[in-house]
Amino acid sequence: MTTTPALAATRRTAVAILAVAAMALTACSDATGGGGSNPGKDEIVIAGTYPIDSIDPGGPQGGGTGPQMAEQEIFSRLVRTKADGTVEGDLATAWKPDSTATQWTFTLRQGVKFSDGKAFTSADVVDSFKRFIDLKGTNAANFPGYTMTATSDTEVVLKAPKPDAAIPRKLAVFFVLPAGVGPNDTAFFEHPVGTGPFTLEKFTPNEIALVSNPNYYGGAPKVKRVTIRKMPELASRLTALRTGEVDLAWGIPDDQLPQVQNDSNLTVQTIQSSAVFTMWFNSSTPALRDAQVRRALWQAVDFPTIIKQLYPQTGSLADSVVSPQTLGYVKQEPVKYDPTAAKAALTAAGFDFSTKLRLQFANAEFRPFNQAVVSDLQKIGVQVDLLEKEQAVFTKDLLALNWDINFQQLSNPMLDASNTIGRLYPCAAKRNGYCNPELDKLLAQAGQSSDEQERVKLYGDATKIIWQDAVGMFPMAVKYAYAWNKHLTGFTPDPNGLPDFSHVQVTS
Amino acid sequence: MTVLVDARTGREVAARRTHAARRWLGRIPYVVLALYAIVGGVGPLLIDYNPVHVSLDDRLLRPGSHVSSGATAWFGTDGVGRDVLAQVVYGARTSVIIGVCTVAVSCLVGVAVGTVAGYFRGWLDTVLARGIDILLAFPAILLTIVIAGAFERSVLVVVVALSATAWISFARVTRSVALAIRERAWVDAARVLGVRRVSILLRHIVPFTAGPVVALATLEFALVVLAEAGLSFLGIGLPNSAVSWGQTIANGKQYLETAWWISALPGIALSLLIINIGILGDQLTARYGRGHLR
Repeated sequence: MTTTPALAATRRTAVAILAVAAMALTACSDATGGGGSNPGKDEIVIAGTYPIDSIDPGGPQGGGTGPQMAEQEIFSRLVRTKADGTVEGDLATAWKPDSTATQWTFTLRQGVKFSDGKAFTSADVVDSFKRFIDLKGTNAANFPGYTMTATSDTEVVLKAPKPDAAIPRKLAVFFVLPAGVGPNDTAFFEHPVGTGPFTLEKFTPNEIALVSNPNYYGGAPKVKRVTIRKMPELASRLTALRTGEVDLAWGIPDDQLPQVQNDSNLTVQTIQSSAVFTMWFNSSTPALRDAQVRRALWQAVDFPTIIKQLYPQTGSLADSVVSPQTLGYVKQEPVKYDPTAAKAALTAAGFDFSTKLRLQFANAEFRPFNQAVVSDLQKIGVQVDLLEKEQAVFTKDLLALNWDINFQQLSNPMLDASNTIGRLYPCAAKRNGYCNPELDKLLAQAGQSSDEQERVKLYGDATKIIWQDAVGMFPMAVKYAYAWNKHLTGFTPDPNGLPDFSHVQVTS
Repeated sequence: MTVLVDARTGREVAARRTHAARRWLGRIPYVVLALYAIVGGVGPLLIDYNPVHVSLDDRLLRPGSHVSSGATAWFGTDGVGRDVLAQVVYGARTSVIIGVCTVAVSCLVGVAVGTVAGYFRGWLDTVLARGIDILLAFPAILLTIVIAGAFERSVLVVVVALSATAWISFARVTRSVALAIRERAWVDAARVLGVRRVSILLRHIVPFTAGPVVALATLEFALVVLAEAGLSFLGIGLPNSAVSWGQTIANGKQYLETAWWISALPGIALSLLIINIGILGDQLTARYGRGHLR
């Protein structure tokens, strides 16, 4: 059989195209496989749950969970909280209050250098604090009218307008930058200089790369590079974790946990977080003004069953407004599920069953939980409109009280009740329409006391009022599930979803 | 001779058989669509479903399992224990309603704009035709997402958002038909007789657009159903209280590995509908499309 030259040429082209295609395919698989699974012995890749839009700790986005995770690796703080809720020194080695707890003196660590080699002094702390307050970011609201002065190169004094015993814990969200960083200093944040364990190598919207800081006072971290990849989609996070494209992921929901636990390459651990599912009632809504109505609504939802079915491993019935490891936690009597009593109480209180309550939440992961709540409320005849909103719209409406029931997973990185109970429940806060002068008095006292035991007692009394008046429903205390590749060692899960990578090591 | 005749009749029989088979095959889309219409129309009357009601004890059950109420979940249950079969049935109704409404609205607008532009020509045509060109240059799905995202979720918003781009193809087709028809003798005759322009439009032009418009409407219907599912999948389409295939598919996304049926079954229902409308649309285009306009 003979082939015509034209046919032969076509065949040659076809073979050539096939070869090119095959090469392209192998190149692609190299790029995905090689970039991910164990890229080098001392590099790790993290699947970031939350977006990191900014690494400016004072900026408007700087207080979010995503940004804070990056900020704590680049910049150090005076103090930080440990997983069990105690405070440990970071740039400060010791701190003490004066007798009234209005002035706190912090002794700074000596011999600390910034990543550019410059020495760290008290002037940097004072300047950073001023910037932090002036920029009025979300976390600056914890320090109204506070001033910081340097008494020497290694000592700063923080002065509060009134006694504040929670200062060390509150300072866990204050990051120290070098002196002289301007308000919108984008040039600085492109190549930031800090005292943290890592320095920034690359910052793009989808990926942030950190390299170990040889000048870190605690010694350069063992891993040379940490890459945090933005993966808001849960399915992609889990796939990446199981294929080895990423080494660490967290926030794994219960439905996916068994699969991850069955994977022999992964270590899974859950840790009690500071987060509590908080479902405020808008007490300024006419229908919800009566505490009896709010209590009845709480009673009408079968939270134990919802938690058992939806969060068997990462949820437990909450017994206070704050999580157990938070300072100010006092156990409360659980609200019993009793739909008949709830319905009777609502009828007795004259509740209008034709009103449609608006339940707002953000984030699709909470949809099943809220659907279950709405379903239970509907069973006793209470109509609820479930509104899933974009984060930005949600926040705007939340502050404008444009809702009747608001669902939030409220975490408290300071592990101090002053940050949640003290900040969100006074009349002046105007966060949930609830106002009780007696509660205000208790909270003011708790905020001013320097005695830790007395503060716990006062916050306990305050919690009792909030709990019994059903300012909101407090259904569930949250555990975070972390999963990481077995070749990582030295990793400790963080209760706030802000894990630190400075002690992580890669073993083969 | 007899052999020859036999061979010929044999061939004819075979040809007739293929022809018959093809005709029957060609009817499949009608059957499938009728099935969807029946399921969408009658199904909700037979199956009781409340999207707000969840049953956590029955969550993530396989197709064919028994739920706590004693019934059988033939298509399984979703992440909060709702019946997937009911969601497919109610979703069919939602899809068909939205598809029909959107196609009707965009057909009305498109035919009106197209015939007016094609018949009157002149500056009106220039303005309308260039307007259509500009809208065509804009990615349709983007415009839809912007409109749907800007307002509170509701069926009306979805219909408006989808119609905002769907009318353009109707306008283009009818305009070209109108351009050709207006030169015909009967139109000239009507004009000479002094028939009002509106009457000429309605009686002598619009009826001739029916063929191509019907063919186009079926194809647009498929695209609209798909776009609605896409919007709901993204969470900007229908409110949570409505049942939509897109929402059900999105709900099953995180269970793809463990509970494939949540996303797969509505997905299959959606693809079957789209494929069959596509085939039907092609048939109609072949029969009534522009090439057969005589």
